Amino acid sequence: MSENIQQKYNERLRRYQAAIALEMPDRIPISAGSNYFAEVYAGHTNQEFIYDVDKWKEADVKFVNDFPEVDAFRSGRFWGPLHDAVGFNMYKLPGRELSPRTQFQFVEGERMKADEYDLLINDPVNFLFERFLPRTLNDFKEPGSARANVALIKGAMASAMLGGFMRNRSMYLQSELGMPNSMGGVFLAPFDYLADGLRGLRGVMLDVRRQPDKILEACEALIPDIVNAGLAIADPLRRSPIFLPLHRGAFPFLSPKQFDELYWPSLKKTMLMFIDAGYTIRAYLEGDWGPNWHHFRELPKGKVLCDIDVQGDIFKAKEDLGGYQCIAGGMPDSLLILGAPAEVKERVKLLCETVGKDGGFIINGGCGIPYDTKPENFKAMLEAVLEYGRYSDTFDFEIHMSPTPPAGWQPPRRRVVTPWEVKLQELGGVKGEESPIKKNWEMLEHMAFNWLFSWLW
Amino acid sequence: MGNLTQLAQALVDLDEELVNKIVKEKIAAGEAPLDIIKECNEGMGKIGKLFEANEYYLSELIMSGEILKGVMNELEPLLANVEKEASTADVVVIGTVKDDIHDIGKNIVVTLLKGTGFDVIDLGVDVPAETFVKTIKETGARVLGLSALLNFTFPAMKEVVDQLAAAGLRDQVKVIIGGAPCNEEVRQFTGADYLAKDAATGVNICKEIFGKC
Repeated sequence: MSENIQQKYNERLRRYQAAIALEMPDRIPISAGSNYFAEVYAGHTNQEFIYDVDKWKEADVKFVNDFPEVDAFRSGRFWGPLHDAVGFNMYKLPGRELSPRTQFQFVEGERMKADEYDLLINDPVNFLFERFLPRTLNDFKEPGSARANVALIKGAMASAMLGGFMRNRSMYLQSELGMPNSMGGVFLAPFDYLADGLRGLRGVMLDVRRQPDKILEACEALIPDIVNAGLAIADPLRRSPIFLPLHRGAFPFLSPKQFDELYWPSLKKTMLMFIDAGYTIRAYLEGDWGPNWHHFRELPKGKVLCDIDVQGDIFKAKEDLGGYQCIAGGMPDSLLILGAPAEVKERVKLLCETVGKDGGFIINGGCGIPYDTKPENFKAMLEAVLEYGRYSDTFDFEIHMSPTPPAGWQPPRRRVVTPWEVKLQELGGVKGEESPIKKNWEMLEHMAFNWLFSWLW
Repeated sequence: MGNLTQLAQALVDLDEELVNKIVKEKIAAGEAPLDIIKECNEGMGKIGKLFEANEYYLSELIMSGEILKGVMNELEPLLANVEKEASTADVVVIGTVKDDIHDIGKNIVVTLLKGTGFDVIDLGVDVPAETFVKTIKETGARVLGLSALLNFTFPAMKEVVDQLAAAGLRDQVKVIIGGAPCNEEVRQFTGADYLAKDAATGVNICKEIFGKC
């Protein structure tokens, strides 16, 4: 990496990390976790971007060259061929069920039945293989069939390929374009695993009334697997936050009482486990979180970047979260899509003078930059931040980067399908050193479980 | 709305067992199914009011719909012989616009509208402009609700309004837009008449249009 590029990378990352940590960088950082606009700006359709990884580089190069003021971004997390390999039915994809220029969309469904909580809690491996995956992966409808077996093989291979593509992309962004990732790795709130992929919205809302104890029990049981699955794909150097899209904790899905009892405790516990492991979190407060976001004050300061959606009031968010957590947002989607550059600049100026004036603020749309953003509006947003969002000419913030967790940290118990002890017994002992054999056996077992778990959402 | 009947109150309390018990007793006593439905509708109306007042949330709304579905299943066989009264209610046509498959918000509005006594024609999700126009033409409905969750739908909403105009129907129908990405700027872009910033507002706009306030 050339020195110049390295410097650019450090500058951007420092700015981003400083804001998250509630420090004052040289100016307000510009970062979207989901920069949808960056996917299509170079002229690709949504389908092209989801199906052809070669387009990523073209798109990234053009985007970064044309908008160098951006400090960190991430775009595109889907690779269509992986979904197709197993027949994943939780999303409709552009070019497949949707028109090629449309956004991917989540498909509601009841993929876990009301009476399957105990199985999920006590025997998740069998729950996944026998109940959940046959309903979720169309190529795995008949477990044991050749088609189903091949689906698993293809799916695992495709996942490994996608991992490689993502790594290469990050490396390229870093070493050729000097651009940090705004996020790495992902997890959901335990309640949202139930509400999204497992029980579905209708199912979980009935459970809230009929069997709230089961919800609580399941949320608790899911935590270790959520943490392990999230850590497995997080940035090993702990530079960028882990992505946490939050769904059904928004108003008016749950009453404040239901939120406090059923949604928050397990979410808080999960977030604290990631924070203890040395990570920060970027939480999308999707929808209107106004009645509930005050809870983020209970977490260590400057660890959870909260993206405020268009239905939330960014000024109120600043009032409630200022001094506790950094917030991102403030640019209405409709303004970026329908507005004019002068209006965009006016809005940025207002944000810089109010919510952004004392740090802890990152400029963004509502949890992302829309696909249909007018390029001239995006440009105007960046220019206006340079004009109105400056804090100082110099700043000295040390980049947070650590390949190891804090001293004393232990991962939660890692799930395997076949424990090493069973394997060892079958082998009748080993003739050489046991530890390298055991270590790798367990690593692959654990990866396999994470792969199964990854289809929950 | 006066005091609720025991059945309506049980529904408002989301007491599934009690609702089912009362309905069974009423059926056994030979009460007319339409009268039973009327009592349930009163309960649903009250639930809508509680939702508007932030006393009930989505789980309560979905639960009440589930209980009602159970009641309707009980009554269905008895309704076969009952002549349906011609609908005198005011008709609202609603749907999620083209390329968007989200319907949670729309379904809340439908539940509240029905609870308020409107007749609702729900066209579902991913509804092409042509289908909205055709339905307005056929039913003569005076209100059209366009729903969306995703922010790429602004042109799709505008398309519906434009096609209504092209079909000469624009003056007969009031168009309301609603859903996460909608605001006044979007309303102006689409040419819709009203913006419903939440479900309750949408229902109140319908009442206003039909002079029910």
